[in-house]
Amino acid sequence: MEDDVLTTLKILIIGESGVGKSSLLLRFTDDTFDPELAATIGVDFKVKTLTIDGNRAKLAIWDTAGQERFRTLTPSYYRGAQGVILVYDVTRRDTFAKLDNWLNELETYCTRNDLVKMLVGNKIDKEGHELDRSEGLKFARKHSMLFIEASAKTRDGVQCAFEELVEKILQTPGLWESEGRGGVRLADDEDVAPGSCGGYCSLV
Amino acid sequence: MMAADSDPESEVFEITDFTTASEWERFVSRVEEVLNDWKLIGSIAGKPPEKGDYTSGTWEEKSQEINFADFKFSIAHNYLKQETPENEGKEETEEDAYPAAMQDLLCMNNDFPPRAHCLVRWYGMREFVTISPGANCEAIISESKCNLLLSSVSIALANTGCQVPVFVQIQQKWRRMYTGECQGSGVRTDFEMVHLRKVPSQYNHLAGLLDIFKSKIGCPLTPLPPINIAIRFTYILQDWQQYSWPQQPPDFDALLAGEVGGVEFGKLPFGACEDPISELHLATTWPHLTEGIVVDNDVYSDLDPLQAPHWSVRVRKADNPQCLLGEFLLEFYKLCQLKESTEELLGRSAGEEESKENADISHALSKLTEPTTVPMSKLSVSNMVHSARKRIRRHRRVDESPLNNDVLNSILLYLFPDAATDKPADAIAAKAKQGNPDRKAEQEMEPDDYNLFNQFKSAPSDSLTHRLALCICMVNFYHGGVRAVAHLWQEFVLEMRYRWENNYLVYGLASGTPDLRCCLLHQKLQMLNCCIERKRARDDSRQKGASPEGPRERKVSGPENGRLPTESSSSLSPGGAAAAAAEVSPGKSWESWSDSEDEFFECLSDTEELKETPADRAKETGKAKPEGRLQPHGNLTLLNSDEPLYIPVTQEPAPMTEDTLEEQSEVLAKLGTSAEGAHLRARMQSACLLSDMESFKDFDLCTGGHLRTCGGTGLTTREEEVTNEAGQTVVKGDLSARMKIPGNMWVEAWETAKATPVRRQRRLFDDTKEAEKVLHYLAVQKPADLTRHLLPCLLHAAVLKVKEEEAKEDILSVRKAMQQMISHASKLLRHPSPDYKKVEDLINQVMVLEAVIARARSLKAKFGIGKSEREGEEEEELERFVSSLLEEPEVAVLGAGRGPAGTIIHKLFVSSQRVADFNDEAALLAPLEEDSGRPGGVEDKKPASAGGIPDFPPPAGREVILRTCVPRPAPYSKALPQRMFCVMLREEFRLAGAFSSDTSFF
Repeated sequence: MEDDVLTTLKILIIGESGVGKSSLLLRFTDDTFDPELAATIGVDFKVKTLTIDGNRAKLAIWDTAGQERFRTLTPSYYRGAQGVILVYDVTRRDTFAKLDNWLNELETYCTRNDLVKMLVGNKIDKEGHELDRSEGLKFARKHSMLFIEASAKTRDGVQCAFEELVEKILQTPGLWESEGRGGVRLADDEDVAPGSCGGYCSLV
Repeated sequence: MMAADSDPESEVFEITDFTTASEWERFVSRVEEVLNDWKLIGSIAGKPPEKGDYTSGTWEEKSQEINFADFKFSIAHNYLKQETPENEGKEETEEDAYPAAMQDLLCMNNDFPPRAHCLVRWYGMREFVTISPGANCEAIISESKCNLLLSSVSIALANTGCQVPVFVQIQQKWRRMYTGECQGSGVRTDFEMVHLRKVPSQYNHLAGLLDIFKSKIGCPLTPLPPINIAIRFTYILQDWQQYSWPQQPPDFDALLAGEVGGVEFGKLPFGACEDPISELHLATTWPHLTEGIVVDNDVYSDLDPLQAPHWSVRVRKADNPQCLLGEFLLEFYKLCQLKESTEELLGRSAGEEESKENADISHALSKLTEPTTVPMSKLSVSNMVHSARKRIRRHRRVDESPLNNDVLNSILLYLFPDAATDKPADAIAAKAKQGNPDRKAEQEMEPDDYNLFNQFKSAPSDSLTHRLALCICMVNFYHGGVRAVAHLWQEFVLEMRYRWENNYLVYGLASGTPDLRCCLLHQKLQMLNCCIERKRARDDSRQKGASPEGPRERKVSGPENGRLPTESSSSLSPGGAAAAAAEVSPGKSWESWSDSEDEFFECLSDTEELKETPADRAKETGKAKPEGRLQPHGNLTLLNSDEPLYIPVTQEPAPMTEDTLEEQSEVLAKLGTSAEGAHLRARMQSACLLSDMESFKDFDLCTGGHLRTCGGTGLTTREEEVTNEAGQTVVKGDLSARMKIPGNMWVEAWETAKATPVRRQRRLFDDTKEAEKVLHYLAVQKPADLTRHLLPCLLHAAVLKVKEEEAKEDILSVRKAMQQMISHASKLLRHPSPDYKKVEDLINQVMVLEAVIARARSLKAKFGIGKSEREGEEEEELERFVSSLLEEPEVAVLGAGRGPAGTIIHKLFVSSQRVADFNDEAALLAPLEEDSGRPGGVEDKKPASAGGIPDFPPPAGREVILRTCVPRPAPYSKALPQRMFCVMLREEFRLAGAFSSDTSFF
């Protein structure tokens, strides 16, 4: 089983406290939902293997605490991540307003500038939406992210979100082929050898 | 049954047999196959190319290998990439139109392209196929082989109906001899070539070339249709004496003479040591002449370059101008590959260089009598460094130090300017604590430039790390190479230890926890500062004894609002939390969850108070200020009194560098995904939480059980929940609903937590241990490691330098390349494990940019830009001209010899000629000399300027294109394009003819 895994991807879930990061992850990995989930301490970690277009990818998903108190530790988890899921709560505008801060932090600490970002508006099952789908869309477009609305409680969009993210990562050249993985990289920027006459030349 | 034997009547059973096909036949079919594959069949006549298309368009080449028996050939298709042909164009194409290549023979829009495949230059074609011997294959030299190849081509073209000309390369490769053929319907063009080493004197002028052309055409018509002529002479200017290269190499001696100040160490050198522009090529062109308009024969010539209607110029760049910045970087980069440790470098060499040392002894003696340049005795910090240095020197005599003492002192002063001031150490430290010493510099600088450290993962340009990188690089280049680097590093580490032991903050680092955006070395230094800061605070509180009021305890005036707010109570914003973090010394180390040491976290409060019981303190609430208070929590007050609600003092999470964090996350990942793993993981990360809770519980007691948990510090986070409950009732030292889910880690921690004020808690951050770890880490870094740490900083500095220099010259291409280089570098350097081999590419890119700027300077000096002798408009035109010289392969001179640029170029040539003449002892014999240099030439007959010296040297190259359209081979044949290209260089004479003939009836 392990052998036919194409690659291992590091994915990070970030966002304000209480937006449902751990719930999304639990729904995805264990297909369970606990309305009374304790706040995450530091970081948590789950592994799941996903098959996208016949390619098996092992996902190492890091679930981070949204709370300020644990914030000092999170930057180290940005290192080497290929994908990031940025979560906000559609019933709480303040969690949406903080997205810019999260993106800033991401920009600052990530080690790859081509990593794939996904914006997830969670808790769409709840009443009293403070945020329209269009606002999320607009934000995602502005920052070139994937966007989906989801509910960890009703399963809506959860599986799809992770699949889309992984598919996008696999489609991004150079993002996941690590050195020594046998991905043959053609030298693309090397000058073509000059023609037989000594190439394009000037008179003298 | 053989095909040949078959009865023509019984066609049904015909079998075609290729079993006996020869190698030659197979080769032909292979060529046909390739032509088919590349879709070169049929007429693809597009529009005639526009003026300049060959230069501005993109040329493509694809190639393939084919075999003739076991002999490898490479077949290549070269073509100008054209816009998708419009439908109109297709309709125009008639069945019997000439092939495009034939039309191109007469097209005058792209004569003398600045850069092109030689076949394009000679025949003006936009598309062709070449067959040449493969790599490592011998050339086709014998005539029969040449003919065999050409015949193959001819057959393949006829069989396929391909209208693209096909050339075969014959003779040695360097001769660039091609012969080829192009076939259209009823027409054919033969491409022939003559290549000689010397120009035969009878053909060394236009008249002679016209004779050859006419005889080759063999046109039976009289009068002959007019022959179109285009001529281009190229002159080379190499002698720039008049404008000597302005850049002076840096005065190395001055640097070594002990006059080194801090200033020099902060600056990177820049520029080329030699003129980066080696030659100027002037091409004078007569694009459109007809026979009879100009006279150019063995006795007279009309072709005066000054009178040429069109001038263009190109410059030749020096192959490898010594660029200072680039060399600096490369030398530094080379250190990365070293394996020796500091001790090996310094220790071993002591014995090895015994003899050398003796030679230096006189020098050493004189040094003793020399007054020192810096009054070191006054400097407290440096004193200490001195004594530390002595320790090293016990093992090594002073003169053996690779780094000259004066230089070393200057460097240390530059690195640690705080050591030079007479201010008390505290003031210095306070200043250092405020952050970077050069905040001003930060403001002056573009924010983009300042934030470059984030992209490069280097360090801010005003930081100690940045300065260290510059010094190491400088020392490596000028002051003794790798041994000096090792020496300096040793001194640096000593200074760090000294500062730790004596509670002096390291100068020039932003305060606070290690900045993970910076390089690891910078983080380590910041970490050291955290430890020093922590230790100072501890020592201070010990010394002072105490006052009941903790020096850092703040109290804000009484409550204004007795009511609990209904809004979110998280008034302790992240900013507030950060402020709190700054107030309290750093706490909590990762290992603390398993830390058995019984050290207490000592906050800055009265030690006496330790004796009091919580109950005592509770009674005193309202009168005495209780311990453990940090600051009032916004407007909140306790419910039953007007006492403001305080936030308790808590231990901050321990500062960590990225390598430690990395180790941790590995440990955490190893715990796996099981429930136990997750639990253990949470537990491992809850040390800080537990400490917080203990503080809160204790605090709760002090305030008489009226504590309301507050958000922001992480104890509770769902503020609205808290508020909802708190709206009606007092939450008595409890957790918010979300934390109270049975069995979760929060409850577990809360229950475990004892009521302990922060100063009695176990210390979460062991500054002594951490500092020793950092110092050990620094001490074991080999020079190569150090170089790798500092490379990003140096690249950062180099980019700033190039930017600064570019700003003076304003070169768009450099700015663009710079952006690319920065994003490339950012990608590379922010990678968790950068590929240092690729760093060399970055350095090369810096070198290229440096050379471009140096060239711009050189050209500006030569064309006298900035001297403002000219009118504004002219100056602008000249500036445009010079900047396009740098960016384009060839630049037209507006107004040819009479325009502003033309005048300057003319002057440059004249003065260069004068100098050459002056230098030449045989100046009087000049005309004769010229004759022998370029036999029977043209220019020696052109009007010479005063003194008999011609304004221009003999042309280095002459190109002539002759074109006409005449019927061949018979007078009644179609009139077809004929062309001959002639080039006459000093050591080459080449005629490339394309002669078309009507194949109907022949």
